[in-house]
Amino acid sequence: MNISAGGFDILLAAVLPLLAWYVLSTRDLFKAVALFIAYGLLFSLIWVRLAAPDVALAEAAIGAGLTGALLLDTLGRIGSRDTSGAASAMEPEGGPPDARES
Amino acid sequence: MDGLYLGVALFLLLNILLGMVRVLRGPSPADRMLAAQLFGTTGVAILLLLAEALAAPALRDVALVFALLGGLTVVAFVRRAWSPPTQVNKE
Amino acid sequence: MGIIEWVTTIFLLAGAFFFFAGTLGLLRFPDVYNRLHALTKADNVGLGLITIGLMLQVDNWVLALKLLLIWFLVLLTSATAAHLIANAALRGGLPLWRRP
Repeated sequence: MNISAGGFDILLAAVLPLLAWYVLSTRDLFKAVALFIAYGLLFSLIWVRLAAPDVALAEAAIGAGLTGALLLDTLGRIGSRDTSGAASAMEPEGGPPDARES
Repeated sequence: MDGLYLGVALFLLLNILLGMVRVLRGPSPADRMLAAQLFGTTGVAILLLLAEALAAPALRDVALVFALLGGLTVVAFVRRAWSPPTQVNKE
Repeated sequence: MGIIEWVTTIFLLAGAFFFFAGTLGLLRFPDVYNRLHALTKADNVGLGLITIGLMLQVDNWVLALKLLLIWFLVLLTSATAAHLIANAALRGGLPLWRRP
């Protein structure tokens, strides 16, 4: 176990709870879905580091991929009714700030 | 050589964490999705490096799944979730 | 370290550099189209260099072919994704960035 592997593990373990908190606490639905996809990818890397490549495979396929695609589909169906969701904020940099962010 | 592989993998993980800033800041859904796709590709590179460093060939299959699902989520996003203002009622 | 190891090291570091440049571009560029440009560089060139570097190290040509095929799959999905997003953004009327 050298220093790079230790740094890799510590970084993953430190960031993942923070990311989970962001996923749950954000008001913007689309942002939550995008963060969830990133969360699934990092979680899959954690399973790899725990020497469980089969679980990592399942997590990448189901957790990040399929659930992400299904959530995006759901968001497309309900998005038109939600002003803070997918259909808003089309402006490039410098658009209206997301005032509902807590 | 294993130290080099792990060092590059660590560097790529730091890149992912840096790119997380773009997911958090937005501003448009496409920006967040682009960042998610970059994470997918970087994850593929990390897994290939780890497969070599840890001598675990199964990780290459995980990398393959990562590559497949990065494309899948982007297609789902463009076809289903993203409705730019001028063509909301086209679907 | 033999010559193959040195070549691998150079390829891996160059690939890591391209990934870093792509991430930096994603953070620094002003709109979706510019960021797309930075992203595809990281996807195609960065992963390609890392794949080539690793292909020099495997002792079995089947494994080398597998690495190459993984890279081709990423190339395919990333090109498709970039085209889809740029097309949707352009049709949706997302304005192009002009130098202020």
